[in-house]
Amino acid sequence: MSAEPTRRRVLAAAVAAVTASGAAGCAPGRAWPWATPPTPAPDVGTLKDLIVAEDALVATYARVVSTFPALSASTAPLLRQHQEHLAALRARLVIPAGAAPPASAMPRAHPAAEPFPGSAHTAVAYLRAAEHTQAAALTGRLATVTPSLAQLLASIAASEASHAALLTRNPR
Amino acid sequence: MTGNPVAGALQVVLAAENAAIFGYGVAGAYLSGAQRAAATAFWNDHRVAGDTLAAMLRARGAEPGAADDAYRLPFPVHTAHDAISLAIFLEDGVTAAYLGLVAGGGTGLRGFGAQGMQDSAVRSSYWRGSSQAFPGFPAAPPGTTHVRPVQ
Repeated sequence: MSAEPTRRRVLAAAVAAVTASGAAGCAPGRAWPWATPPTPAPDVGTLKDLIVAEDALVATYARVVSTFPALSASTAPLLRQHQEHLAALRARLVIPAGAAPPASAMPRAHPAAEPFPGSAHTAVAYLRAAEHTQAAALTGRLATVTPSLAQLLASIAASEASHAALLTRNPR
Repeated sequence: MTGNPVAGALQVVLAAENAAIFGYGVAGAYLSGAQRAAATAFWNDHRVAGDTLAAMLRARGAEPGAADDAYRLPFPVHTAHDAISLAIFLEDGVTAAYLGLVAGGGTGLRGFGAQGMQDSAVRSSYWRGSSQAFPGFPAAPPGTTHVRPVQ
């Protein structure tokens, strides 16, 4: 007998509060905790940049091979390893649901700024430069990532440095 | 060894460099011509790296670990082919040691560790005539096995 009026009073007070503040989203009070998207870890932005760059390197190899088929046999193992690098980087990329896309710190995705080569000989030098550029991009990101990702990036950079050396030794 | 984890990580790399210096002394004896010249140049690279690491340890107040007189060879070395296999074994061991430094040496030593990995991966590819996708890792890096193409 005494509980009923009390409950009614509480409900009435709540309705009054909502009415007073209005039904729109401009109501005073705290935002729902999940209204703000989670902030992606710094690794996410780094990985996205490096995936774009590695993808561009794979595309560069594919274009060189389609233009100069004579280079196909010697560059095939290198291209295969770049595809492994790309898969390993993509496997590390975990973006929280609803997260805002991270800002990119890498202004340019394509590894080589110089014009596309006109001969097989200059194409090898072009690939060598692209390998050096990508290795430098990877090592440039080491200080800001987790230790585990730093190891992966350092290993891929070492692989790419050895690609550049092999392209120097075996021009054809 | 001190309780400083960075010094500990540097000591591991120094130990690997010292082992490589010994190993190249063995390998070089079975090589000739350009390969012998390469072994001599690479032996010198490892000596320079060892000196650098010793200086880095002293700068941190740690006493550099001494090289052993001899190291147990991983297999008998009697031919040029054996010597090249030994050189590959040495460079891969050094690469793995620098990989440890990249994770365990603090952010300030990551670039140094990565450069060490690149140098040894390049030397390894000289002996192999080919490259590795993930130098320093035993096979594929952890967590990526499932994305490697199935043969």
